[in-house]
Amino acid sequence: MSDCLILDGEAVTFQPGQTVLEVARQNGIKIPALCYHRKTGPAGRCRVCVVEVEGQAGLPTSCNLMAKDGMVVHTCTERVLEVRRSVVNLMLANGEHNCISCEQNGRCELQDAAYQLGIEIPAFTITGPKAEIDDSSEMVVLDRRKCIQCGRCIAACNNVVVNEVLGMGQRGFESKIVCDLDRPMADSTCVQCGECVQICPVGALIEKKAVGKGRSWEMDTVDTTCPYCGVGCQMTLHVDTDANRIVRVTGREVEPNDGMLCVKGRFGYEFPSSPNRLTQPLIRKNGELEPVSWEEALDFTAERIAKIVKEHGPDVFSAFGSGRITNENNYAIAKFTRAVIKTNNVDHCART
Amino acid sequence: MKPDVRARILDLAATYPTPKAALLTALETVQQAEGGHLSTDSLSEVAALLGVPLGTVYATASYYTMLNLKPVGKYHLQLDTNIPAMLAGAEDLLAHMEQALGIGVGETTSDGLFTLSAVEDLGACGTCPVLQVNDRYYENMTPACFDELLANLKQGVVPEWKTEGNWGTECNMLLARRGKPNSTALAGYVADGGYQALEKALTLSPAEVTQMVKDSGLRGRGGAGFPAGVKWGFLPKDSTKPVYLVCNADEGEPGTFKDRQIMEFDPHLVIEGMAISGYAIGAKLGYIYIRGEFAWIADILERAIAEAREAGKLGNNMLGRGVEFDIRVTRGAGAYVCGEETALIESLEGKRGNPRLRPPYPAVSGLFGCPTIVNNVETLSSVPFIVREGAEAFRQIGTANNAGPKIFGVSGHVKNPGAYEFPLGVPLAKVLEAAGGVVGNLKAVIVGGLSTPILTAEECRDLTLDYDTCAKYGTGLGSGGIMVMNDTVQIPAIALRTIQFYAHESCGQCTPCRQGSVAIEQMLHRVVEGKGTPEDLDNVLHLCKTIKGNTLCPTGDAFSMPIEAMVGKFRGEFEALLPKAGADLAV
Repeated sequence: MSDCLILDGEAVTFQPGQTVLEVARQNGIKIPALCYHRKTGPAGRCRVCVVEVEGQAGLPTSCNLMAKDGMVVHTCTERVLEVRRSVVNLMLANGEHNCISCEQNGRCELQDAAYQLGIEIPAFTITGPKAEIDDSSEMVVLDRRKCIQCGRCIAACNNVVVNEVLGMGQRGFESKIVCDLDRPMADSTCVQCGECVQICPVGALIEKKAVGKGRSWEMDTVDTTCPYCGVGCQMTLHVDTDANRIVRVTGREVEPNDGMLCVKGRFGYEFPSSPNRLTQPLIRKNGELEPVSWEEALDFTAERIAKIVKEHGPDVFSAFGSGRITNENNYAIAKFTRAVIKTNNVDHCART
Repeated sequence: MKPDVRARILDLAATYPTPKAALLTALETVQQAEGGHLSTDSLSEVAALLGVPLGTVYATASYYTMLNLKPVGKYHLQLDTNIPAMLAGAEDLLAHMEQALGIGVGETTSDGLFTLSAVEDLGACGTCPVLQVNDRYYENMTPACFDELLANLKQGVVPEWKTEGNWGTECNMLLARRGKPNSTALAGYVADGGYQALEKALTLSPAEVTQMVKDSGLRGRGGAGFPAGVKWGFLPKDSTKPVYLVCNADEGEPGTFKDRQIMEFDPHLVIEGMAISGYAIGAKLGYIYIRGEFAWIADILERAIAEAREAGKLGNNMLGRGVEFDIRVTRGAGAYVCGEETALIESLEGKRGNPRLRPPYPAVSGLFGCPTIVNNVETLSSVPFIVREGAEAFRQIGTANNAGPKIFGVSGHVKNPGAYEFPLGVPLAKVLEAAGGVVGNLKAVIVGGLSTPILTAEECRDLTLDYDTCAKYGTGLGSGGIMVMNDTVQIPAIALRTIQFYAHESCGQCTPCRQGSVAIEQMLHRVVEGKGTPEDLDNVLHLCKTIKGNTLCPTGDAFSMPIEAMVGKFRGEFEALLPKAGADLAV
């Protein structure tokens, strides 16, 4: 049996072990939580997700507040909103959060929080030394001017993908995200998996190749399976349909990859529109590759295989499956090799 | 890295449940061995040696102010410029030093001899101004003393130094042995009845000892005033994990210099207190986490621990009774926040001193994920008396609900700044009298360390110093660090210096503390410079209101409450600094 709490006047049920933030989101109540991500867990750092709980002094953060039976929670009292506004103001006060030209516009959690709280311009400014932009690496731009120090990227790098590159350098107001011993990302041990980009709530970590290629809302999204290997990572292609071009790729937070991708899956997406891509069968005739029909190509291949096997026996034949094709295709290759050719010479790139 | 340094690091790593935990101490060791700073190569080597990712090594190395990522001069001159120092003339001294050295703060002389730094509170508030040269303290500094010191250092002579300050005791408990010659030696401590309490404790059951501490009403002396015995009671009863006792000796709250009085002059008192407490809570190992600046005190503690171990007072078979308890000393590296118990635990594990999200509380999951009790030096040092003389005898000292003695550190505008031990509940006036009385006309007092709200002279006239009365007066007893200000003091300047301290010390995790402290600092800076606006003051108060209670650890409260009180109670002084309407702001 599930327990029940009162959330903004409504009785809602929850499972033991759920946090108030999870219960609220499950019930369609938006609580901005900028440092919390399901994969990195509650951090209690951003202090935006505060709520009011009857009988409890102060305003606890909902990301690490366990839901309790009979609890009475208010998520949007004036007291709560005043604190949230103050915190979001402080985040906006020193950064260069310029939504107009920001890549993250439209999918930025800070922008959403400011919108929700009705903050147009920060109430005050904090001046500080100019934060550096690290655009040294091939795929990722680290724009520290927009960083809100939520720590998600560090937690993801160290605890989720366990690449252990990112760290928080210095302390207090001078804190900054660093790679290794404060090296440029390109010179660091970063493998450019891009998990940090995907988990960043703001525009501080972005895909370099997507810059200027279109707004998030202009993209059509296509859910698909990564074609690079046999793991079967689930991903979403963000496609500029007019240009017939993939602009960016994000990992889907489902099995088996839970949003994670490798550098190839996340950033190696140009091949569908590469001019070097084979689009029709070719047969070398008189030393030159010539386009032919599928019928001709398949007939030619079948004849040659049949002839060679007949002359030299089935063991001169071997087949290699590929991680880039489906299980069913690979099964067909194995079946064909064993049942039709009658050899066990079948292998696969993912075997070793 | 030299082979002997590598070997030392590996030996050190072997003493922890995981080699990673040795990181902070390893960095301190390497820095000391390699001429005062950590090179990129050294950092990489430490990372490889301990199996810690480079990013994590950098995160730790760049967090602590005592770890230098850039070369420093042969003599690193670090002048405490916090409020007690300010009240003792540190600003003028700093100007004098800059002139004498021909460099500014943060710079190194061209001959590479001197680096000048203005640093935060060094825990020497009663003997300010204090100058730390490498790991030595030169207290009660004056421009003339500095000139003499500088001349010596230029000759390559590092002068002798000693720490001595005013003190007094009415209770004869925590400072009872303060004036004795060679007070740190075991023989003298034993001759004065030391370790009898441990003898007695070991004839009792751990539960009986805990009950005595509960009955005594001893409240935590670190600042929060939480009953120590009750805290011990939070340990899980059914855990199979080891239990750790941690002595919090990270005394860093400006105005506070009480724990060092015990550790430096009567180290066996805290060792005996830890041995008894360790026995009571079932710990076999205790750590003393001492701020890195107190290097010589850490040495005193280590020598005393070795002596106690040698004499069978600590170790596998304490006093021959088959009970195991030992103590290790771990040095911090310059971070105020590490005085907060979960940040301290993180630092003990070799990491950045970032406070942890709670729950779980340390009693359930603390050091290395094991049940841990963190108690202050003064708290643990009160335990031997309680066990030896009984809970009732302890309760006889002080007032109801505020039992026992307390060391008050008095700094600022009094004739004899120093450490004075009185029963809790003592009138503030009596403590000030012990400190020789106020110099000039009293304007305001901060009674519990910088994080507690300021009281006007009027407000504190009848104040008695105990947890409950201070709370009633809208402030806190805190650590008992009393800072006295006469009417030459401008409160806006004090407020600015207060927020500068917290902005410098914020670990940076929580938005309200990281951003809010700097926002308030910049607003107050404008006001003090005569360029502020009424909105600045309103914004300061609004930030204080919304930051209070909304940070992971008490640091947000530690600045929002005192700043709110300073601006609230002395608003006229702040407003007087605002430019008059129509005045040219550009001036």
